[in-house]
Amino acid sequence: MIEISGLNKSYKQEPVLKNLGFSHPGQKTLSILGESGSGKSTLLKIIAGLEEADGGDVRIDGRSIMQMKPKDRGTVYLYQEPLLFPHLTVAENISFGLKFKGSDSKTVEKDTLRMIGQLKLTGQEAKYPHQLSGGQKQRVAFGRAVIIHPKILLLDEPFASLDPATRQEMQVLFKEIADKENITSLFVTHDLKEALMTGDRFGIMVNGRLTLHENREAFIEDSDTGVKKEIEFWKNLS
Amino acid sequence: MSRRMVLGLLFLSFIIPFGVLIYLSVSTQWYYPALVSHPFTFSNWLSFFDGRSGLLKSTGLSIFISLMVSMIATSCGFFISRGIVYYTSSRWWLVSAYFPYVIAPVVLAVMLNYYFLQIGLSGTVFGVMSAQILITLPYAVILFYGFWNRNIRNFENLVATLGGSFFDKVMHAFLPSAKGLLVVCFFQCFLISWFEYGLTQFIGIGKVETLTIMVYRFVAESNPYLAALAGTVLIIPPIILLFVNRKFMFRKGLGI
Repeated sequence: MIEISGLNKSYKQEPVLKNLGFSHPGQKTLSILGESGSGKSTLLKIIAGLEEADGGDVRIDGRSIMQMKPKDRGTVYLYQEPLLFPHLTVAENISFGLKFKGSDSKTVEKDTLRMIGQLKLTGQEAKYPHQLSGGQKQRVAFGRAVIIHPKILLLDEPFASLDPATRQEMQVLFKEIADKENITSLFVTHDLKEALMTGDRFGIMVNGRLTLHENREAFIEDSDTGVKKEIEFWKNLS
Repeated sequence: MSRRMVLGLLFLSFIIPFGVLIYLSVSTQWYYPALVSHPFTFSNWLSFFDGRSGLLKSTGLSIFISLMVSMIATSCGFFISRGIVYYTSSRWWLVSAYFPYVIAPVVLAVMLNYYFLQIGLSGTVFGVMSAQILITLPYAVILFYGFWNRNIRNFENLVATLGGSFFDKVMHAFLPSAKGLLVVCFFQCFLISWFEYGLTQFIGIGKVETLTIMVYRFVAESNPYLAALAGTVLIIPPIILLFVNRKFMFRKGLGI
Protein backbone atom coordinates (compact mmCIF):
# COMPACT_ATOMS: atom_id res chain seq x y z
CA MET A 1 0.00 0.00 0.00
CA ILE A 2 1.20 3.50 -0.81
CA GLU A 3 0.06 6.58 1.07
CA ILE A 4 0.87 10.10 -0.03
CA SER A 5 0.12 13.18 2.03
CA GLY A 6 0.66 16.92 1.54
CA LEU A 7 3.09 16.51 -1.35
CA ASN A 8 4.33 19.78 -2.82
CA LYS A 9 6.79 20.50 -5.57
CA SER A 10 7.67 23.66 -7.48
CA TYR A 11 10.10 24.35 -10.29
CA LYS A 12 11.42 27.92 -10.25
CA GLN A 13 8.49 28.99 -8.07
CA GLU A 14 6.02 27.40 -10.49
CA PRO A 15 3.96 24.87 -8.46
CA VAL A 16 3.79 21.44 -10.11
CA LEU A 17 2.27 19.42 -7.27
CA LYS A 18 -0.14 21.14 -4.90
CA ASN A 19 -0.71 19.52 -1.53
CA LEU A 20 -1.22 16.15 -3.17
CA GLY A 21 -2.58 13.32 -1.09
CA PHE A 22 -4.04 9.88 -1.78
CA SER A 23 -3.61 6.26 -0.88
CA HIS A 24 -3.56 3.21 -3.11
CA PRO A 25 -4.00 -0.37 -1.92
CA GLY A 26 -1.66 -3.19 -2.88
CA GLN A 27 -1.96 -5.45 -5.94
CA LYS A 28 -3.92 -2.93 -7.96
CA THR A 29 -3.05 -0.55 -10.78
CA LEU A 30 -3.87 3.12 -10.42
CA SER A 31 -4.06 4.74 -13.85
CA ILE A 32 -3.37 8.45 -13.73
CA LEU A 33 -4.51 10.42 -16.75
CA GLY A 34 -3.09 13.86 -17.33
CA GLU A 35 -1.84 16.23 -19.97
CA SER A 36 1.83 17.05 -20.43
CA GLY A 37 3.05 19.28 -17.61
CA SER A 38 0.24 18.29 -15.25
CA GLY A 39 2.79 16.91 -12.74
CA LYS A 40 2.23 13.17 -13.19
CA SER A 41 5.88 12.33 -14.07
CA THR A 42 7.09 14.51 -11.19
CA LEU A 43 4.87 12.54 -8.81
CA LEU A 44 6.41 9.24 -9.96
CA LYS A 45 9.95 10.62 -9.76
CA ILE A 46 9.39 11.81 -6.19
CA ILE A 47 8.06 8.37 -5.19
CA ALA A 48 11.09 6.72 -6.84
CA GLY A 49 13.49 9.13 -5.11
CA LEU A 50 14.71 10.64 -8.37
CA GLU A 51 13.37 14.09 -7.47
CA GLU A 52 13.10 15.77 -4.10
CA ALA A 53 9.74 17.05 -2.91
CA ASP A 54 9.46 20.49 -1.30
CA GLY A 55 7.21 19.03 1.38
CA GLY A 56 4.93 16.14 2.25
CA ASP A 57 5.35 12.44 2.87
CA VAL A 58 5.27 9.17 0.94
CA ARG A 59 4.74 5.95 2.89
CA ILE A 60 4.98 2.45 1.49
CA ASP A 61 3.49 -0.28 3.69
CA GLY A 62 3.27 2.23 6.54
CA ARG A 63 6.91 3.30 6.39
CA SER A 64 8.08 6.73 5.22
CA ILE A 65 10.49 6.46 2.29
CA MET A 66 11.34 10.14 1.92
CA GLN A 67 14.80 9.81 3.45
CA MET A 68 15.65 6.55 1.67
CA LYS A 69 17.94 6.21 -1.33
CA PRO A 70 16.23 5.14 -4.60
CA LYS A 71 17.72 1.64 -4.38
CA ASP A 72 16.23 1.04 -0.92
CA ARG A 73 12.69 2.20 -1.67
CA GLY A 74 11.45 -0.94 -3.39
CA THR A 75 10.17 1.02 -6.38
CA VAL A 76 11.08 0.60 -10.03
CA TYR A 77 10.58 3.38 -12.56
CA LEU A 78 9.73 2.34 -16.09
CA TYR A 79 10.53 4.97 -18.71
CA GLN A 80 8.98 5.69 -22.07
CA GLU A 81 12.23 4.51 -23.67
CA PRO A 82 13.08 0.86 -22.91
CA LEU A 83 16.64 1.76 -21.80
CA LEU A 84 18.01 -1.73 -22.29
CA PHE A 85 21.68 -2.24 -21.51
CA PRO A 86 23.24 -2.58 -24.97
CA HIS A 87 26.06 -4.86 -23.81
CA LEU A 88 23.70 -7.40 -22.19
CA THR A 89 21.51 -10.05 -23.81
CA VAL A 90 17.73 -10.26 -23.34
CA ALA A 91 18.14 -12.78 -20.50
CA GLU A 92 20.88 -10.72 -18.82
CA ASN A 93 18.80 -7.56 -19.12
CA ILE A 94 15.76 -9.22 -17.57
CA SER A 95 17.74 -10.73 -14.69
CA PHE A 96 19.72 -7.50 -14.10
CA GLY A 97 17.98 -6.46 -10.89
CA LEU A 98 17.91 -9.97 -9.41
CA LYS A 99 21.64 -10.05 -8.69
CA PHE A 100 21.24 -7.07 -6.34
CA LYS A 101 18.64 -9.02 -4.39
CA GLY A 102 21.13 -11.71 -3.50
CA SER A 103 19.34 -14.46 -5.42
CA ASP A 104 21.41 -17.57 -6.16
CA SER A 105 22.22 -18.40 -9.77
CA LYS A 106 19.67 -21.26 -10.00
CA THR A 107 16.82 -19.01 -8.82
CA VAL A 108 17.96 -16.26 -11.19
CA GLU A 109 17.94 -18.67 -14.11
CA LYS A 110 14.58 -20.20 -13.20
CA ASP A 111 12.88 -16.82 -12.63
CA THR A 112 14.37 -15.36 -15.81
CA LEU A 113 13.18 -18.25 -17.97
CA ARG A 114 9.73 -18.05 -16.41
CA MET A 115 9.57 -14.30 -17.10
CA ILE A 116 10.81 -14.76 -20.68
CA GLY A 117 7.96 -17.22 -21.19
CA GLN A 118 5.40 -14.81 -19.73
CA LEU A 119 6.69 -12.04 -21.95
CA LYS A 120 6.38 -14.34 -24.99
CA LEU A 121 10.07 -13.90 -25.73
CA THR A 122 11.07 -17.57 -25.75
CA GLY A 123 13.88 -18.10 -28.25
CA GLN A 124 15.04 -14.48 -28.01
CA GLU A 125 16.99 -14.80 -24.76
CA ALA A 126 20.45 -14.72 -26.35
CA LYS A 127 19.73 -11.72 -28.57
CA TYR A 128 21.09 -8.24 -27.92
CA PRO A 129 18.84 -5.15 -27.75
CA HIS A 130 19.77 -3.91 -31.23
CA GLN A 131 18.37 -7.17 -32.65
CA LEU A 132 14.89 -6.61 -31.16
CA SER A 133 11.83 -4.70 -32.35
CA GLY A 134 10.44 -1.74 -30.39
CA GLY A 135 7.70 -3.87 -28.81
CA GLN A 136 10.14 -6.63 -27.84
CA LYS A 137 12.47 -4.09 -26.23
CA GLN A 138 9.63 -2.69 -24.16
CA ARG A 139 8.65 -6.21 -23.09
CA VAL A 140 12.20 -6.86 -21.90
CA ALA A 141 12.18 -3.56 -20.00
CA PHE A 142 8.86 -4.49 -18.40
CA GLY A 143 10.11 -7.96 -17.48
CA ARG A 144 13.28 -6.51 -15.95
CA ALA A 145 11.15 -4.29 -13.71
CA VAL A 146 8.58 -6.94 -12.72
CA ILE A 147 10.99 -9.81 -12.03
CA ILE A 148 12.36 -8.19 -8.86
CA HIS A 149 8.84 -7.87 -7.42
CA PRO A 150 8.98 -4.16 -6.55
CA LYS A 151 6.66 -2.90 -3.85
CA ILE A 152 5.45 -0.27 -6.31
CA LEU A 153 5.97 -0.30 -10.06
CA LEU A 154 5.98 3.20 -11.51
CA LEU A 155 5.17 3.37 -15.21
CA ASP A 156 5.74 6.70 -16.94
CA GLU A 157 3.95 6.38 -20.29
CA PRO A 158 5.95 3.24 -21.05
CA PHE A 159 4.21 2.42 -24.32
CA ALA A 160 3.98 5.95 -25.74
CA SER A 161 6.69 5.39 -28.35
CA LEU A 162 5.11 2.22 -29.78
CA ASP A 163 2.88 1.93 -32.82
CA PRO A 164 -0.87 1.59 -32.02
CA ALA A 165 -1.09 -2.17 -32.59
CA THR A 166 2.01 -2.97 -30.50
CA ARG A 167 0.86 -0.52 -27.88
CA GLN A 168 -2.47 -2.30 -27.48
CA GLU A 169 -0.69 -5.65 -27.37
CA MET A 170 1.57 -4.33 -24.60
CA GLN A 171 -1.38 -2.98 -22.60
CA VAL A 172 -3.00 -6.43 -22.67
CA LEU A 173 0.31 -8.08 -21.71
CA PHE A 174 0.83 -5.58 -18.88
CA LYS A 175 -2.62 -6.28 -17.46
CA GLU A 176 -2.10 -10.03 -17.75
CA ILE A 177 1.28 -10.02 -15.97
CA ALA A 178 0.28 -7.38 -13.40
CA ASP A 179 -2.67 -9.55 -12.35
CA LYS A 180 -0.64 -12.76 -12.35
CA GLU A 181 2.26 -11.29 -10.36
CA ASN A 182 0.03 -9.24 -7.99
CA ILE A 183 1.83 -6.02 -8.85
CA THR A 184 1.01 -2.71 -7.20
CA SER A 185 1.52 -0.01 -9.80
CA LEU A 186 0.98 3.61 -10.72
CA PHE A 187 0.54 3.96 -14.48
CA VAL A 188 0.65 7.50 -15.81
CA THR A 189 -0.48 8.26 -19.34
CA HIS A 190 -2.02 11.02 -21.41
CA ASP A 191 -3.91 8.44 -23.47
CA LEU A 192 -7.48 7.97 -22.34
CA LYS A 193 -7.91 4.50 -23.80
CA GLU A 194 -4.66 3.35 -22.22
CA ALA A 195 -5.78 4.65 -18.84
CA LEU A 196 -9.09 2.78 -19.13
CA MET A 197 -7.37 -0.37 -20.34
CA THR A 198 -4.64 -0.66 -17.70
CA GLY A 199 -6.24 0.61 -14.50
CA ASP A 200 -8.16 -0.96 -11.63
CA ARG A 201 -8.55 2.48 -10.06
CA PHE A 202 -8.36 5.76 -11.87
CA GLY A 203 -7.15 9.28 -11.31
CA ILE A 204 -7.05 12.46 -13.29
CA MET A 205 -4.36 15.01 -12.72
CA VAL A 206 -4.99 18.63 -13.55
CA ASN A 207 -2.55 21.41 -12.59
CA GLY A 208 -0.85 19.40 -9.84
CA ARG A 209 -4.08 18.16 -8.25
CA LEU A 210 -5.28 14.57 -8.42
CA THR A 211 -8.92 13.46 -8.43
CA LEU A 212 -9.41 9.76 -7.72
CA HIS A 213 -12.15 7.42 -8.91
CA GLU A 214 -12.62 3.97 -7.46
CA ASN A 215 -13.98 2.40 -10.64
CA ARG A 216 -14.21 2.82 -14.38
CA GLU A 217 -17.81 4.04 -14.30
CA ALA A 218 -17.08 6.93 -11.94
CA PHE A 219 -14.01 7.84 -14.02
CA ILE A 220 -16.08 7.95 -17.19
CA GLU A 221 -18.65 10.18 -15.49
CA ASP A 222 -15.99 12.78 -14.61
CA SER A 223 -16.18 15.49 -17.26
CA ASP A 224 -12.42 16.26 -16.84
CA THR A 225 -11.48 12.84 -18.28
CA GLY A 226 -13.01 13.70 -21.64
CA VAL A 227 -14.59 10.26 -22.05
CA LYS A 228 -18.05 11.68 -22.60
CA LYS A 229 -16.71 14.19 -25.11
CA GLU A 230 -15.02 11.35 -26.98
CA ILE A 231 -18.22 9.27 -27.06
CA GLU A 232 -20.13 12.31 -28.25
CA PHE A 233 -17.55 12.88 -30.99
CA TRP A 234 -17.87 9.34 -32.35
CA LYS A 235 -21.68 9.47 -32.14
CA ASN A 236 -21.75 12.70 -34.13
CA LEU A 237 -19.33 11.30 -36.66
CA SER A 238 -21.58 8.32 -37.42
CA MET B 1 46.17 15.20 -63.49
CA SER B 2 44.22 12.14 -62.40
CA ARG B 3 42.77 11.81 -58.92
CA ARG B 4 44.98 8.81 -58.24
CA MET B 5 48.08 10.82 -59.16
CA VAL B 6 47.11 13.70 -56.87
CA LEU B 7 46.51 11.26 -54.05
CA GLY B 8 49.85 9.61 -54.75
CA LEU B 9 51.64 12.97 -54.62
CA LEU B 10 49.87 13.90 -51.42
CA PHE B 11 50.84 10.56 -49.91
CA LEU B 12 54.46 11.01 -50.99
CA SER B 13 54.63 14.55 -49.60
CA PHE B 14 53.31 13.15 -46.33
CA ILE B 15 55.62 10.16 -46.19
CA ILE B 16 58.89 11.80 -47.42
CA PRO B 17 59.58 13.77 -44.19
CA PHE B 18 59.26 10.52 -42.24
CA GLY B 19 61.61 8.84 -44.69
CA VAL B 20 64.17 11.64 -44.24
CA LEU B 21 63.82 11.34 -40.47
CA ILE B 22 64.44 7.59 -40.53
CA TYR B 23 67.27 8.02 -43.02
CA LEU B 24 69.03 10.61 -40.83
CA SER B 25 68.64 8.31 -37.82
CA VAL B 26 70.82 5.73 -39.58
CA SER B 27 73.47 8.26 -40.56
CA THR B 28 76.40 9.71 -38.61
CA GLN B 29 78.08 12.17 -40.97
CA TRP B 30 77.73 14.00 -44.25
CA TYR B 31 80.50 15.47 -46.40
CA TYR B 32 80.15 17.92 -49.24
CA PRO B 33 79.54 17.33 -52.17
CA ALA B 34 77.86 13.98 -51.45
CA LEU B 35 74.10 14.11 -51.87
CA VAL B 36 73.43 11.81 -48.99
CA SER B 37 75.13 10.95 -45.72
CA HIS B 38 77.61 8.16 -45.63
CA PRO B 39 78.06 5.52 -44.31
CA PHE B 40 74.77 3.84 -43.49
CA THR B 41 74.98 2.67 -39.83
CA PHE B 42 72.91 1.47 -36.93
CA SER B 43 75.24 3.00 -34.35
CA ASN B 44 72.66 5.66 -33.35
CA TRP B 45 70.04 3.00 -32.79
CA LEU B 46 72.56 0.90 -30.85
CA SER B 47 73.26 3.91 -28.64
CA PHE B 48 69.51 4.18 -28.09
CA PHE B 49 69.16 0.56 -26.97
CA ASP B 50 72.35 0.39 -24.88
CA GLY B 51 71.34 3.59 -23.08
CA ARG B 52 74.43 5.67 -24.02
CA SER B 53 72.39 8.44 -25.63
CA GLY B 54 70.01 8.66 -22.67
CA LEU B 55 67.10 8.31 -25.08
CA LEU B 56 65.91 4.96 -23.73
CA LYS B 57 65.51 6.45 -20.26
CA SER B 58 63.74 9.51 -21.71
CA THR B 59 61.40 7.28 -23.71
CA GLY B 60 60.50 5.28 -20.61
CA LEU B 61 59.98 8.49 -18.64
CA SER B 62 57.82 10.02 -21.39
CA ILE B 63 55.69 6.89 -21.65
CA PHE B 64 55.24 6.84 -17.86
CA ILE B 65 54.31 10.54 -17.65
CA SER B 66 51.96 10.45 -20.64
CA LEU B 67 50.19 7.28 -19.53
CA MET B 68 49.70 8.60 -15.99
CA VAL B 69 48.59 12.04 -17.17
CA SER B 70 46.13 10.65 -19.72
CA MET B 71 44.71 8.10 -17.27
CA ILE B 72 44.24 10.66 -14.48
CA ALA B 73 42.89 13.38 -16.79
CA THR B 74 40.47 11.01 -18.54
CA SER B 75 39.06 9.40 -15.40
CA CYS B 76 38.88 12.61 -13.35
CA GLY B 77 37.58 14.67 -16.29
CA PHE B 78 34.81 12.12 -16.81
CA PHE B 79 33.46 12.42 -13.28
CA ILE B 80 34.16 16.17 -12.88
CA SER B 81 32.16 16.89 -16.03
CA ARG B 82 29.31 14.82 -14.55
CA GLY B 83 29.46 16.91 -11.40
CA ILE B 84 29.40 20.14 -13.39
CA VAL B 85 26.41 19.05 -15.51
CA TYR B 86 24.41 17.53 -12.64
CA TYR B 87 25.16 19.75 -9.69
CA THR B 88 25.93 23.23 -11.00
CA SER B 89 23.61 25.57 -12.81
CA SER B 90 26.34 28.01 -13.83
CA ARG B 91 28.17 27.61 -17.13
CA TRP B 92 31.22 29.35 -15.68
CA TRP B 93 32.74 26.01 -14.67
CA LEU B 94 32.74 24.96 -18.29
CA VAL B 95 33.95 28.36 -19.49
CA SER B 96 36.82 28.24 -16.98
CA ALA B 97 37.92 24.90 -18.46
CA TYR B 98 38.95 26.81 -21.60
CA PHE B 99 41.28 29.01 -19.57
CA PRO B 100 44.55 27.03 -20.14
CA TYR B 101 43.95 27.08 -23.90
CA VAL B 102 43.05 30.76 -24.07
CA ILE B 103 46.30 31.82 -22.42
CA ALA B 104 48.53 28.98 -23.84
CA PRO B 105 50.05 26.23 -21.68
CA VAL B 106 53.50 27.81 -21.43
CA VAL B 107 52.04 31.08 -20.14
CA LEU B 108 50.08 29.04 -17.62
CA ALA B 109 53.38 27.46 -16.56
CA VAL B 110 54.92 30.90 -16.02
CA MET B 111 51.91 31.88 -13.92
CA LEU B 112 52.04 28.72 -11.85
CA ASN B 113 55.81 28.54 -11.50
CA TYR B 114 55.84 30.47 -8.21
CA TYR B 115 53.54 27.93 -6.57
CA PHE B 116 55.45 24.98 -8.00
CA LEU B 117 58.68 26.44 -6.61
CA GLN B 118 57.09 27.07 -3.22
CA ILE B 119 55.84 23.50 -2.82
CA GLY B 120 59.00 21.98 -4.23
CA LEU B 121 57.47 20.53 -7.39
CA SER B 122 59.73 22.34 -9.86
CA GLY B 123 62.23 20.03 -11.50
CA THR B 124 60.39 16.87 -10.46
CA VAL B 125 58.54 14.26 -12.48
CA PHE B 126 55.52 14.70 -10.21
CA GLY B 127 55.61 18.44 -10.85
CA VAL B 128 55.68 17.98 -14.61
CA MET B 129 52.81 15.48 -14.38
CA SER B 130 50.78 17.89 -12.23
CA ALA B 131 51.38 20.73 -14.67
CA GLN B 132 50.38 18.58 -17.64
CA ILE B 133 47.24 17.46 -15.80
CA LEU B 134 46.32 21.14 -15.43
CA ILE B 135 46.01 21.36 -19.21
CA THR B 136 44.71 17.89 -20.06
CA LEU B 137 42.05 17.76 -17.34
CA PRO B 138 40.13 20.81 -18.65
CA TYR B 139 40.33 19.28 -22.12
CA ALA B 140 38.74 16.08 -20.78
CA VAL B 141 36.04 18.07 -18.96
CA ILE B 142 35.16 19.94 -22.15
CA LEU B 143 35.10 16.70 -24.17
CA PHE B 144 32.82 14.85 -21.72
CA TYR B 145 30.51 17.78 -20.99
CA GLY B 146 28.07 16.86 -23.76
CA PHE B 147 28.03 13.19 -22.81
CA TRP B 148 25.83 13.67 -19.74
CA ASN B 149 22.49 13.92 -21.49
CA ARG B 150 18.99 12.95 -20.35
CA ASN B 151 19.35 9.41 -21.68
CA ILE B 152 22.45 8.70 -19.56
CA ARG B 153 20.73 10.19 -16.53
CA ASN B 154 17.72 7.94 -17.10
CA PHE B 155 20.03 4.93 -17.33
CA GLU B 156 21.61 5.96 -14.02
CA ASN B 157 18.23 6.32 -12.36
CA LEU B 158 17.15 2.97 -13.72
CA VAL B 159 20.19 1.19 -12.27
CA ALA B 160 19.54 2.93 -8.95
CA THR B 161 15.89 1.93 -8.73
CA LEU B 162 16.74 -1.64 -9.71
CA GLY B 163 18.98 -1.74 -6.63
CA GLY B 164 22.40 -1.05 -8.17
CA SER B 165 25.22 0.87 -6.49
CA PHE B 166 27.33 3.68 -7.95
CA PHE B 167 29.78 1.02 -9.16
CA ASP B 168 26.93 -0.69 -11.05
CA LYS B 169 26.03 2.66 -12.59
CA VAL B 170 29.62 3.03 -13.80
CA MET B 171 29.76 -0.51 -15.18
CA HIS B 172 26.34 -0.65 -16.84
CA ALA B 173 25.16 2.90 -17.43
CA PHE B 174 28.35 4.89 -18.08
CA LEU B 175 31.04 2.67 -19.55
CA PRO B 176 29.05 0.91 -22.30
CA SER B 177 27.90 4.30 -23.63
CA ALA B 178 31.14 6.19 -23.01
CA LYS B 179 33.84 3.72 -23.98
CA GLY B 180 34.46 5.25 -27.42
CA LEU B 181 34.67 8.73 -25.98
CA LEU B 182 36.91 7.55 -23.14
CA VAL B 183 39.35 6.01 -25.62
CA VAL B 184 39.38 9.17 -27.72
CA CYS B 185 39.95 11.32 -24.64
CA PHE B 186 42.73 9.05 -23.39
CA PHE B 187 44.41 9.20 -26.79
CA GLN B 188 44.13 12.97 -27.09
CA CYS B 189 45.42 13.55 -23.56
CA PHE B 190 48.29 11.18 -24.29
CA LEU B 191 49.19 13.21 -27.37
CA ILE B 192 48.95 16.54 -25.51
CA SER B 193 51.24 15.20 -22.81
CA TRP B 194 53.56 13.34 -25.17
CA PHE B 195 54.36 16.34 -27.37
CA GLU B 196 54.25 18.96 -24.59
CA TYR B 197 57.44 21.00 -24.61
CA GLY B 198 57.14 24.53 -23.19
CA LEU B 199 55.34 23.66 -19.98
CA THR B 200 57.50 20.56 -19.38
CA GLN B 201 60.70 22.53 -19.95
CA PHE B 202 59.55 25.35 -17.67
CA ILE B 203 58.29 23.28 -14.75
CA GLY B 204 60.90 20.52 -15.24
CA ILE B 205 63.69 23.17 -15.37
CA GLY B 206 65.71 20.86 -17.60
CA LYS B 207 65.89 18.14 -14.98
CA VAL B 208 62.94 16.16 -16.28
CA GLU B 209 64.23 14.94 -19.63
CA THR B 210 61.25 13.73 -21.62
CA LEU B 211 61.69 12.59 -25.20
CA THR B 212 60.34 15.89 -26.58
CA ILE B 213 62.87 17.80 -24.47
CA MET B 214 65.64 15.54 -25.85
CA VAL B 215 64.62 16.23 -29.47
CA TYR B 216 64.92 19.97 -28.88
CA ARG B 217 68.20 19.47 -27.01
CA PHE B 218 69.77 17.55 -29.91
CA VAL B 219 68.52 20.17 -32.35
CA ALA B 220 70.05 22.89 -30.18
CA GLU B 221 73.32 20.92 -30.11
CA SER B 222 73.24 20.76 -33.94
CA ASN B 223 73.20 16.98 -33.82
CA PRO B 224 70.69 16.18 -36.57
CA TYR B 225 71.39 12.44 -36.42
CA LEU B 226 70.45 11.96 -32.77
CA ALA B 227 67.65 14.52 -33.17
CA ALA B 228 66.32 12.39 -36.04
CA LEU B 229 66.65 9.26 -33.94
CA ALA B 230 64.77 10.92 -31.05
CA GLY B 231 62.17 12.25 -33.52
CA THR B 232 61.68 8.78 -34.98
CA VAL B 233 61.20 7.28 -31.53
CA LEU B 234 58.89 10.18 -30.64
CA ILE B 235 56.39 9.38 -33.39
CA ILE B 236 56.26 5.61 -32.79
CA PRO B 237 53.92 5.49 -29.72
CA PRO B 238 51.31 7.88 -31.19
CA ILE B 239 51.30 5.86 -34.43
CA ILE B 240 50.79 2.64 -32.46
CA LEU B 241 47.99 4.26 -30.43
CA LEU B 242 46.39 5.66 -33.56
CA PHE B 243 46.49 2.21 -35.19
CA VAL B 244 45.00 0.54 -32.11
CA ASN B 245 42.29 3.17 -31.67
CA ARG B 246 41.45 3.89 -35.30
CA LYS B 247 37.98 2.40 -35.01
CA PHE B 248 37.15 4.82 -32.20
CA MET B 249 38.98 7.83 -33.63
CA PHE B 250 37.19 7.77 -36.94
CA ARG B 251 33.81 6.55 -35.81
CA LYS B 252 30.85 8.91 -36.09
CA GLY B 253 28.34 9.60 -33.33
CA LEU B 254 30.49 9.53 -30.24
CA GLY B 255 28.00 11.64 -28.37
CA ILE B 256 30.32 14.62 -28.29
